[in-house]
Amino acid sequence: MRRFELALPRSVDDCLKTLAKRGADAKVVAGGTDLLPQLKNGLLRPAFVVDLSGVVLLRRLGVNRQGLRVGAAVTAREIELDPRIQKDYPALAESGALVGSIQIRNLATVGGNLCNAAPSADMAPPLLALEAEAVIAGPQGKRRVPLVDFFQGVRRTVLAPDELLVELVVPAPKARSGGNYLRHTPRRELDIAVVGVASQLTLSNGVCAKARIALAAVAPTPVRATAAEQALEGQPVTPEQIERAAELAVGAAQPISDQRGSAEFRRHLVRVLTRRTLTTALARAGH
Amino acid sequence: MATVMKTTRDVKGVGLSIPRPDGPEKVTGQVQYVADIKARGLLHAKLLRSPHAHARILRIDTSKARALPGVRAVLTAADIPELKRKAPTRAHAVLAIDRVMFVGHPVAAVAADEPAIAEEALDLIEVEYEVLPAAVDPLQSMQPGAPPVAEAGTEADTSEAMAHGAVTVAKTEAKPTKAVNISQQSRLHRGDIAKGFAESDVIIEKTYRVPMVHQGYLEPHAVLAQWDTTGFLTLWASTQGSFNTRSEVADVLEISENRIKVIPVECGGGFGGKIRALCEPITAILARATGRPVRYVMTRREELEAGMPAPQVIIRLKTGVKRDGTLMALEAETILESGAFSGAVLAVSAVFLASMYKWPSFEVRGFEVLTHKPSIAAYRAPVAPQTIFAIDSHMEQIARALGLDPVEFRARHLMREGDPMANGQPWQSNGAAEVLRRIAEHPLWKNRAEWAAGSGKDGHGLRGTGLALGGWLGGLQPTGATVRLNPDGSVSVLTGQVDIAGTNIALAQIAASAYGVDIEHVRITTGDTDSAPVTGLSAGSKTIYTVGVAVMEAAKDARRQTFEVAAAELEASIHDLEIEDGKVFVRGLPDRVVTLAQIGKKGNLYMSKVQPVLGVARPAFSQQAPAFAAQLARIEVDPDTGELTLHAFVVVQDAGKAINPLGVEGQMQGGAVQSLGMALTEALNFDDNGKLTNPSLLDYRKLTAADLPNIETIIVEVPSPAGPFGARGVGEPPIIPAPAAIANAIEDATGARLTHLPLTPERIALELVAQGARAGISLRSGVTSGIV
Amino acid sequence: MAKQTLKCTINDDAVEVLVQPYTTLLDALREDLGLTGPKEGCGTGDCGACTVHLDGKPIASCLMLAMQVRGRAVRTIEGLGRADALHPLQDAFVRHGVPQCGFCSPGVLMAAAALLAENPHPTEPEIRYAIAGNLCRCTGYTKMLAAITEAAGATSAREGA
Repeated sequence: MRRFELALPRSVDDCLKTLAKRGADAKVVAGGTDLLPQLKNGLLRPAFVVDLSGVVLLRRLGVNRQGLRVGAAVTAREIELDPRIQKDYPALAESGALVGSIQIRNLATVGGNLCNAAPSADMAPPLLALEAEAVIAGPQGKRRVPLVDFFQGVRRTVLAPDELLVELVVPAPKARSGGNYLRHTPRRELDIAVVGVASQLTLSNGVCAKARIALAAVAPTPVRATAAEQALEGQPVTPEQIERAAELAVGAAQPISDQRGSAEFRRHLVRVLTRRTLTTALARAGH
Repeated sequence: MATVMKTTRDVKGVGLSIPRPDGPEKVTGQVQYVADIKARGLLHAKLLRSPHAHARILRIDTSKARALPGVRAVLTAADIPELKRKAPTRAHAVLAIDRVMFVGHPVAAVAADEPAIAEEALDLIEVEYEVLPAAVDPLQSMQPGAPPVAEAGTEADTSEAMAHGAVTVAKTEAKPTKAVNISQQSRLHRGDIAKGFAESDVIIEKTYRVPMVHQGYLEPHAVLAQWDTTGFLTLWASTQGSFNTRSEVADVLEISENRIKVIPVECGGGFGGKIRALCEPITAILARATGRPVRYVMTRREELEAGMPAPQVIIRLKTGVKRDGTLMALEAETILESGAFSGAVLAVSAVFLASMYKWPSFEVRGFEVLTHKPSIAAYRAPVAPQTIFAIDSHMEQIARALGLDPVEFRARHLMREGDPMANGQPWQSNGAAEVLRRIAEHPLWKNRAEWAAGSGKDGHGLRGTGLALGGWLGGLQPTGATVRLNPDGSVSVLTGQVDIAGTNIALAQIAASAYGVDIEHVRITTGDTDSAPVTGLSAGSKTIYTVGVAVMEAAKDARRQTFEVAAAELEASIHDLEIEDGKVFVRGLPDRVVTLAQIGKKGNLYMSKVQPVLGVARPAFSQQAPAFAAQLARIEVDPDTGELTLHAFVVVQDAGKAINPLGVEGQMQGGAVQSLGMALTEALNFDDNGKLTNPSLLDYRKLTAADLPNIETIIVEVPSPAGPFGARGVGEPPIIPAPAAIANAIEDATGARLTHLPLTPERIALELVAQGARAGISLRSGVTSGIV
Repeated sequence: MAKQTLKCTINDDAVEVLVQPYTTLLDALREDLGLTGPKEGCGTGDCGACTVHLDGKPIASCLMLAMQVRGRAVRTIEGLGRADALHPLQDAFVRHGVPQCGFCSPGVLMAAAALLAENPHPTEPEIRYAIAGNLCRCTGYTKMLAAITEAAGATSAREGA
């Protein structure tokens, strides 16, 4: 790792002031699980790093009837273990549980996972399927961006250098909703998704009222499989419908072939994991 | 918690499961590795490495780096006159002189006050390269006209083969081809394969491929170097052989060996990757240039990119058999990709292909090929796992094709003691047949049909069982040891043998048994290259087999000397004496006693005429003791994702005599998991430019505890004629069979025969898709699997 | 570059030390505080050899900057037990013959200790997942499982659970 200066802000405002001054050659660090490896590899060489661990506000986690408010610095492990998230937002808890290892999950933050914006970010698909919004603080105040608009490309988001992601707002799913996140990795732990799929279904009067399907690691950003979603909505959810949706989800994927997986395998996995997550989401929706 | 036990001249010390005495130090974080050692004025080294697989160096400008405050030295080859233009080995390729030969080839070296400053200094070094065509694929590199790798005149290096006590191969009869990158060749043949194939009913031909893999030791290469004012160098090194390190460094620096002391610090894993010198020469040179102690610890990225991995192995294997299972002919080519320098143990692969089973005719050609990649070194039973993957997978396929029981088929054709190996050497006595028999008796094998019956039902995946058999001949190397009686009657054993496998406790047990004292009165020390007798590598599964003999003989020598002193004291014959409870007494006359302490003091008192007891042994060896292991895997495969769950895994191994069964089990389990890693997840992936695309442990996947079941171990003992108490080497056999066992299990479960390691979910899933497509079954509906 | 003052608790002792801002927690422990028990196996959080406890939770100390633990409590292997007073996990590791090269042992023990503090009666799969972030190349993990299982019984017996 090369040398850099370190700021230790105590509040979001402190942090914004620092970013306003140094934003261009500064990086923000929370859990460090993505940033530090990049610093050590020389991929990033900031002269200035801003440590968020002193900004208590970013670690708040609140659940009420309206939904979930997750501070950007809430850790994957907290998300994994929170009984309220496990009960009502199981796909999100499942994704938190899959990040790295316990030693990484105790550091890795949901905000870091999203802002690092790797195509394989595990917590992105469930949050997309749950229609989360990102709350961003900047010099002009706060703005909200639907998560589906947050990602712009590999490792690129809508955040400007002087902005900070402060929290995720997730609306409470309606009654008779269920969700699931699955990913494929060659090892059980300490691994990164070859493909990840999150499905969220809401049923009403015997048919699918809402379907949301999001994919990781098969496009430059995490993406929604909107054709598959539309094919499910308004129909009863049967195995044949699920199969058709799984096939349509493959169309939403534009996977590359790399050492983690060939495009052919990734397309195959999108079909398999979409089928499986929809089946589980349906069961959880209380069918 | 020491285990107190009585010992007599029968084997009571030997055979006990005693925990290693350094356990408490290790579990409290007190044991020191190289990077833990403090030194005043310590500087940190970093190396600038080539980004190109093959290039000419046109210009290096280090001026900006030198000017950075905190930088104490920046060196290029121009600053090191003793570097040979034609580096004969990787150790000699300290810094590239005018040509880089692999991505990661060091080009400049920096020593600085802090690692961060050293890294910044590397950024400031400017290098201009002329990129040259690179030979990156071994099959292309073998062709005439491929970009040449070696400097003309550098010889093939077979020293590694000798160190591992591999096999000897008669001088090659093959006509050398014009392909400049073929650095070793061999040809072994017997009988008439054309006739053999002509008379065969079933011919099977497959190509097996195992990529380069890293030994995976958790502690990266590390060394601390310091010179004194008289030009004497001390190296604290993480090494499997302090004397070998000393020799190599002395050769590179062109100084005599007795001007270097290598202190073998606790080694955080070696497995063959820490035998050859790598970082020691450049660190020593930086220490000399700065006049300060310098420490170099490789990063994990450097280890993966520019370590010394195991070779890529490509084996084309063709066999012919009769329908009744009679073996007729075997034809094979084994190609070992050695990277930028020669050094693969080609003989092992070539010989083993035709030596496990009795082929009446065979033709095996072996090739070592150079490429512009980091050069290879040994990895625990070098090239045996890859070779057994080929021959055992093949035997399994033959048995299946003929409808024969896979264990009986192997047992029927297994070579036995006295049968000629492929190189004419007769097989020494060994436990291969016994190991095979024992694994076939295991309930997991006997009940495999029951396991398979659950395949695809109740949401289960495809279920199968597979086994494989492999072995290792065992290395030999001369060695020495001393056993000393202290003035208080305690015993001290000295060797130079680096303890990487828990051998010290076993050696102490041998000394205790052979001398005649309780193990708790024996202390064993691993000396450095100044204080210890010259010894060989901790490799080749030979430590107990060779150093165990040295310690045993030295202990017997000390016992004889002890009896000589006692005999004079007690006016008895040495043949009438016994040692028990720290006393020497005349058999049948318990009152005529002299204690070991008294004898020890006599040999040390001022003006005494009694000689001190100092047992010495310095044996050399000629007889190998092959050791075999069989492994069995019970698996379940998710037919849609290809994920493989290992439900159970068994290792049956012939230890000859398990000196310390607790230690032997640990070797069996650790070796098995390395073998499983090679089978399931590990590969160094190079792109078309020779650049490693997975230089981190995220993408170079080693197995975690969550990927594995308990590894069950069964120790078999078929004593070796010459090993101490009948012991055989135990370190290497367990890494050999798993890739074949897993491939055999996958075929059993799914019908798919995979021949390219690692056996990843992708390979399995896509093969099943192709298989289904061939059979006209679509897996889309999930109908065939039963899994939604 | 100016050093910063790190104030925190390490192995139950209040500590105040000057560290470079770019120093990782692992390097500060090893180089500035003389606690060489935690090891660097990879530097990128992929091997677990650097595992220490932060406020009781196991974390990868190679991925934290030292200053990030200001005001918090860190425990390293040196704070788990001593040679004359081994933690039941350490004692079980020794008797089961777990440590071979020993390089992974401090990290595994810290991960296992955190598990037992939170889950005194773990099942085999729970133990395997708890140490899945700790790579070991020597042992194949089997004896670790036996030792941790035994220590779990011993710990709860000790506490009268």
